[in-house]
Amino acid sequence: MKEEILKIEEASQNSIKECEDIKLLNELKVKNKKKKGELTAVLRTMGKLSPEERPVIGSLVNQVRDKLTLLFEQKEKELQKKELLKKLETENIDVTEPSKKITLGSLHPITQIINEVEEIFLGMGYEIADGPEVEKAIYNFDKLNTPPDHPARDIQDTFYITEDILLRSQTSPVQARVMENQKPPIKIICPGAVYRSDSVDATHSPVFHQVEGLVVDKDISMTDLKGTLEMFAKKCLGENTKIRFRPHHFPFTEPSAEADVSCFVCGGKGCRVCKGEGWIELLGCGMVHPNVLKNCGIDPEEYSGFAFGFGVERIAMAKFGIEDMRLLFENDVRFLKQF
Amino acid sequence: MKASIEWLEEYSDIDVDSVKLGDILTMTGSKVETIEQKGNDIKNVVVGKILEIKKHEDSDHLVVTQVDLGNEKVQIVTGADNIKEGDIVPIAKDGSELPGGVKIKKGLLRGKESCGMIFSVGELGLTVTDYPGQIENGIMILDKSLEKELGKDIVEVLNLKEDIIDFEITPNRPDCLSIEGLGREVAVSLGKEFKNPRKNIDEMKVEDKKEIEGLRVDITAPDLCYRYIARVVKNVKIAPSPEWMRRRLKACGVRSINNIVDITNYVMLEMGQPMHAFDINSIEGKHITVRRAKNGEKITTLDEQERELDENNLVIADEKKAVAIAGVMGGLNSEIENDTQTVVFESAVFYGGSVRKTAKKVGLRTEASSRFEKGLSSENALRAVNRAVELVELIGAGEVVEGKIDVYPTKQKINKIKLDVDKINNLLGTNIEKQDMINILEQLDIKVENDIAIAPYFRMDLEFVADLAEEILRIYGYDKLETTLIKADTTLGIRNKEQKIEKAIKEVLVNSGLSEIYTYGFVSEKDLEKSKINEELIKKSITIMNPLSDEYKLMRPTTVPSMMQTLAINANKKNQNAKLFDVSRNYRNINNEVQNGEVPLQENILTIGMYGDDVDFYTLKGLMENVLETVNVNRYDVVKETKNESYHPGRCANIKVGTDVIATLGEVHPEVLMNYDIPKRAYLLEANITKIVKYSKANKKYVEVPKFPAVERDIAMIVDESVEVGQIEKIITKKSKKLLESVKLFDIYRDDKIGEGKKSVAYSLIFRDKNKTLSDDEINTIMNNVITELEKNLGAELRKA
Repeated sequence: MKEEILKIEEASQNSIKECEDIKLLNELKVKNKKKKGELTAVLRTMGKLSPEERPVIGSLVNQVRDKLTLLFEQKEKELQKKELLKKLETENIDVTEPSKKITLGSLHPITQIINEVEEIFLGMGYEIADGPEVEKAIYNFDKLNTPPDHPARDIQDTFYITEDILLRSQTSPVQARVMENQKPPIKIICPGAVYRSDSVDATHSPVFHQVEGLVVDKDISMTDLKGTLEMFAKKCLGENTKIRFRPHHFPFTEPSAEADVSCFVCGGKGCRVCKGEGWIELLGCGMVHPNVLKNCGIDPEEYSGFAFGFGVERIAMAKFGIEDMRLLFENDVRFLKQF
Repeated sequence: MKASIEWLEEYSDIDVDSVKLGDILTMTGSKVETIEQKGNDIKNVVVGKILEIKKHEDSDHLVVTQVDLGNEKVQIVTGADNIKEGDIVPIAKDGSELPGGVKIKKGLLRGKESCGMIFSVGELGLTVTDYPGQIENGIMILDKSLEKELGKDIVEVLNLKEDIIDFEITPNRPDCLSIEGLGREVAVSLGKEFKNPRKNIDEMKVEDKKEIEGLRVDITAPDLCYRYIARVVKNVKIAPSPEWMRRRLKACGVRSINNIVDITNYVMLEMGQPMHAFDINSIEGKHITVRRAKNGEKITTLDEQERELDENNLVIADEKKAVAIAGVMGGLNSEIENDTQTVVFESAVFYGGSVRKTAKKVGLRTEASSRFEKGLSSENALRAVNRAVELVELIGAGEVVEGKIDVYPTKQKINKIKLDVDKINNLLGTNIEKQDMINILEQLDIKVENDIAIAPYFRMDLEFVADLAEEILRIYGYDKLETTLIKADTTLGIRNKEQKIEKAIKEVLVNSGLSEIYTYGFVSEKDLEKSKINEELIKKSITIMNPLSDEYKLMRPTTVPSMMQTLAINANKKNQNAKLFDVSRNYRNINNEVQNGEVPLQENILTIGMYGDDVDFYTLKGLMENVLETVNVNRYDVVKETKNESYHPGRCANIKVGTDVIATLGEVHPEVLMNYDIPKRAYLLEANITKIVKYSKANKKYVEVPKFPAVERDIAMIVDESVEVGQIEKIITKKSKKLLESVKLFDIYRDDKIGEGKKSVAYSLIFRDKNKTLSDDEINTIMNNVITELEKNLGAELRKA
């Protein structure tokens, strides 16, 4: 009987080894487990054995059965693995074929620059202030130390609606409004559209955008202004950017300055953007004129402040390499998609 | 303001080249615009003498000349006919250069060798006015005395080398619209002594007279004329002015006229005070009155244009007529003529604001008016007139009559400012010593006595400590300012609710494939009509008084035309798809705010415009739903709108919160598309961001994820075409009470079987109770209620699954 069992074992082992198909293996497994399986048949004849032999044979049958079960499992894994490999091979793809994606839109370059500027100043504790574009002359000029007969009203050729209402020629009226309504400390930037009577060409537009900044507090100095602008220039235009102040005149600041930055295109070596000078005129700035503080209800003896302002289009054009300002307002999708 | 180095050197030693000087002055506040280096463009041009002139054998108009260049003789062929043997002329040798990049080379002219060129005044970059006696279209004939200079460089012989710097002068510094003022800036900036060549003028005493040569002066508008001084010159000999004067005028860009007129211009350039000279005989009654013009009064100015004036304009008048528009331009009727015998030199100061307005009104901005409008010093006016008559004597243009007529109703105020050293250092963030401050101020002629700074007469712009701070800083050096950061209490830098929402909206749209545009706020009436904007709204447009053109005449009451135009531009460029948005403003004069001096309504508007293969009404609606979801506007209705004429009447809707319309969207009306030549269907949306902000809930709230299972039921029905699916959904929602989790339209179709004018719609409903598992009975009851209501209210006919 023992030989018979061992024979069954050998036969089964061989057929498992030779099996190369998971279906056949499963059939084999079922056949082995079934009540009519060969080992079961052997067990059924156990009754004929002596009581001494029974446990020996029983244990042998169990051993063989366990062994075969293990073999089945191993073979099964082996065949599954083979099958998977075969499947993976058929599922090979060309990764360089075009992607399927949702086409993204784009923010206008002017918004991108304004966002960048806003992030820098928000980080320095500034709020963003807003005001009307159709504005009172008193906020655009008078309160900013530019009375009706002031020649500066000529420099900025302004669009008028009536004698008292105009299209703001700068975002400074927002500053005047904030100063009137808020006690120092004041730290704001005012981005927005401004209007000047310039005909449309490659470098001019009757509508353009400015960001102005204003700080009013005790003991604000011109070195604070320079430091703030240097920080801004480095964050916005690159860590190696240098800043230079030149004397200038604005009715609403005293002392006033124009600030140049080292050319962020060529790094100051001289190129087309900076006209070979290495410096680019970036903005106008200065210490808030005592008359302006007074006009807006702030005591110039107690407080001082600084203000600055620059054109967004110029920075956008220099940064993105746009040579014609008209492109910014034409809104051709082939232009917009590039940003 | 142009200044030649040669002239500036009269006021200060200059030991740097003009480029370096320009850099230094730019850093002290006189910004250099351009530097012109004259004479550098003339190379290898020498003095020559014509020895012989012979006819060219092969030409009717050419001659062959032999020219002596001192150490060599050359042959030159020329077409000129105003030369004769023995003439001294400028010769451009082989390899020479002339202004304008002209290069002269040896060559053959009809077979004859020509080793250079003889040329005219114009070809040397000069004009006949610079060299009286020369002719326009002929060879420049030099003075015989130059025969001893043969072969020498013409630039040196004629002294053609000249560096001219053009400065940008800020409006607060009219004193720098003069060589004297710039000379002072040069001296201070270079740390040199200011050489005052006009000391004699400063110290000159001239007797006051009521009447000179019969001339009298009155001012009847002292609010507009602060001072009027007249001096008289008789036995005048009108002639060209001397070469040195013409040359300096030319350097400053002023054309030479005659000695008297040139003197007025020369003094203006030298001292910054505009002058006027006129013939005493043209003054009726020899009585000058400075008065306001009469309304409608006319005067023909020196440029031979008739100008009409009003009572806001100031004129210089005789007893019958105006002879000059004060501060702007003289009248033709009192012009200096070649036979003028007695000349009146006028030096006056007018109120700048009035000159500015007058110049604008008559459309004449002159060298004089641009100086007067900035506000000039009355003290300087006296210096100027004395200088003018000094020049008359110097160049022998006439005989100066003793005394002056000086009407000076309002004496110029001299500003005194406390020199507060601490305040200045605090304002600048510097540590400048008091003595250093005083030194700088005194170099600028600002005297300091007992800590009080006294502004000189020519610095009327100095009023405040801040002004002193600027003066000190610009000489101390703006480049010496350190950089510090504000030392103050921390402030919060944060976007407000509207700014956050605006940013979020832009992000959603960009992520949905839309590109942002920027448009002008201007529109024309035609644009509004093209977009079929309703008349009520058009009436609210705001009109610009001085628009660039009719195209840009109105401030738009709606953003629709701007978006339509942008879509049109893209369609015109054959862009197949366009998905655009814009966040900007409209401008509406609701209750005549503008006429009442108030600011009109200006709302923040989101505008979307699209056309292309994959967009329709529902794409747009979905976009807006996403926008509203992002910014937490959850309760709103989409209601059909049929009356907005910009839109397709059957394909337009309003989005409402309660009764408040927050957005309008739809397909663009085919007529509007036609007006803009857009060949495809286009879609438009206008949403009011200010209102969206109002209805945006502050926070999202977490709702527990369900634990109990949902039950799904489908329902299909046939309804009339006129029934909107929104109505069906409303009934389903209402009748399902709180157990309905979602209702989704999954099919809508029309066919012959259903019949014309009807449609079949099918919904999938999901029910859930958050506290228990729902039973079939509960759902059946709800479904029955829903069906009954649909049948009753909408005439729905239920379809069996």
